[in-house]
Amino acid sequence: MLKNMQEKIGYLRETQIGSFIPVLLALIAIWVYFGIVEPVFLSPRNFYFLFMQSAVVGTLAVGVTLVLLMGDIDLSIATVAGVCAAIVAVLSTNMGISAPIACLAGLGAGAVLGGIMGTLIAYFRIPSFVVTLAGLLGFQGLMMKILGIHGAINVRDPFIRGLTTTTLPDSIGLILAAIGVIIFGLAIWNNRRARSAKNLDNDLLYLSIIKFIFFSTLIITATLILNAYRGVPLTIIILLSITGFLGWLTTSTSYGRAVFAVGGNLESARRVGISIEFMRISAFALVGFMAAVGGIIGASRYASVSFNAFAGGPLLLEAIGAAVIGGTSLFGGRGSVWNAILGALVIGSLGNGLDLAGAKAADKLMFSGAILLIAVTLDAVTRGGVSRK
Amino acid sequence: MNDNIKSLKNTLSNQTNPIHFSAQGIMKKFGGIDALNNINFELNRGEVMGLVGDNGAGKSTLMKAISGAQLCDSGSFFIDGKEVKITSPQEASLQGIQIVYQDLALCENLDVTANLFLGNEIRYFDNLKIIPKALKPLNHLSMEEQTKAALTKLKVHTITSMRTKIGFLSGGQRQSIAIARAILSDSSIVLLDEPTAALGVSQTKEVLELVKRLRETNHAVVLISHNLNNIFEVCDRITVMRQGENIGTFSAKNTTPDQIVSYITRGK
Repeated sequence: MLKNMQEKIGYLRETQIGSFIPVLLALIAIWVYFGIVEPVFLSPRNFYFLFMQSAVVGTLAVGVTLVLLMGDIDLSIATVAGVCAAIVAVLSTNMGISAPIACLAGLGAGAVLGGIMGTLIAYFRIPSFVVTLAGLLGFQGLMMKILGIHGAINVRDPFIRGLTTTTLPDSIGLILAAIGVIIFGLAIWNNRRARSAKNLDNDLLYLSIIKFIFFSTLIITATLILNAYRGVPLTIIILLSITGFLGWLTTSTSYGRAVFAVGGNLESARRVGISIEFMRISAFALVGFMAAVGGIIGASRYASVSFNAFAGGPLLLEAIGAAVIGGTSLFGGRGSVWNAILGALVIGSLGNGLDLAGAKAADKLMFSGAILLIAVTLDAVTRGGVSRK
Repeated sequence: MNDNIKSLKNTLSNQTNPIHFSAQGIMKKFGGIDALNNINFELNRGEVMGLVGDNGAGKSTLMKAISGAQLCDSGSFFIDGKEVKITSPQEASLQGIQIVYQDLALCENLDVTANLFLGNEIRYFDNLKIIPKALKPLNHLSMEEQTKAALTKLKVHTITSMRTKIGFLSGGQRQSIAIARAILSDSSIVLLDEPTAALGVSQTKEVLELVKRLRETNHAVVLISHNLNNIFEVCDRITVMRQGENIGTFSAKNTTPDQIVSYITRGK
């Protein structure tokens, strides 16, 4: 009986929901703390800005999770984001090319840069750490070259600005939230029914119900809070859609299985005929693409592209930190893109709350370090069951 | 050469238990050393063949040659009397030959079902050529159902949920999963490289039971082991290798462990 309980808890930890729990607790703790210390922290207005501030880090964190799952790392995401943002800015502001086309060019450039690094890692067997470190340096230079002597380009194009300034009308936000909740509920219910029909073991019923109620409440509450200020930002919808796609790709396709297999046991992946080369190149290209998305969101939010906003700042470490705080292992094989968003919210909340509390930059950095350490420790402790690789 | 094949075919038709697989004149040199020197080796369906010999006797090299992991210099393979070319693990797999390595090659971070179907997943829309294979949605439930069926067939009852991560399983259970994976793809020949080497007493028993079940399901099984007790417990015949040569194949019923030890160490 006891063993049975232990097994159940073990499975729970290893499920998508179970892996949320540590990072979710961290997030709640931070919110409660700052809610008490600085009541304005919990205002709808502040939440709106919190989400928007976390969007760039979140996008990069979701992207880098892909290569972390394979046991690789990408240190160049922030600079690739910068290069792509610079390309978009030069094309749209300086050369007058229409903004959507400029954005597509930026996205393409991100994928190509990532793909090139992936090729070097796959075929020349250079550790990803080294290749992307070289990328980090080289692309910093490339970004400076593209930006020119002024070191910054303003972005005033209404299309690009609209990506982060547009909010959905209250009603549409609520309808989307409702659709999300209904699809989520139907998916759980359908899965349960199909499993019983095939005589497979089901999750405990009350766990499924808790899962449904929890996430429905989360979605609806978040929508209501955002509606109380300006409405659900378009940025959030874009980020959630891309994360949804990558979440599906990593958990429900052969490609995703291969990602986890490469991260879990490279030799095993090779023996069953998975092309390690293809996996590496495509994953790094996807990360490059996500970096470009982050770059465009950043350019839109700051209304300019400058060296410091991307390459010179803490963006890279915040993004990798967010992925790790979300519970993605640096050794590969374990993690989830959804958790990366929670991780980004943790880092964002911390920065936002400390700003409100009037903390100095030095304190902020030390707090961020401490949170990262706590999150990783918590993760290591709660995952005792699976052999630690 | 042709005469060889003819005589083989003759022996085939004459025997009551037809030879399912045979290797003829397998040679492999590593530098100046004969790793495999003119090895002849045959297997029937529904039998467990023990393969014993000291370290460096060529057991693993022979297994690698049969499973396509390492090309031999010369020699030929026959399945049901028909010559087959085995040039890669994929080729061997297509011919129904599966090898379970000592290190099992399972992904601890994936669950039982995912490991069984790794690289060979069941997907929806498999007829639609427009969507790349890697991007088709997985049919999770169907894979889980088949996994459960495969483990039930092998009478592995200790694994209750197919969604358990391999990292949670014991050594014996992992061995069972690796063996289940080998026979999932309609294979007829299963090569087991030291499956009990790292296991405790009860888990060893579990795995040996599994090996017996493979015989019942009419597979041709090769079992490499240093443990003669295990060999005598499950094997029908025993092939002894020494310094790259096949010393002989003996019926387990009519041989004693002492005789086998003598063949292994002195070749007689």
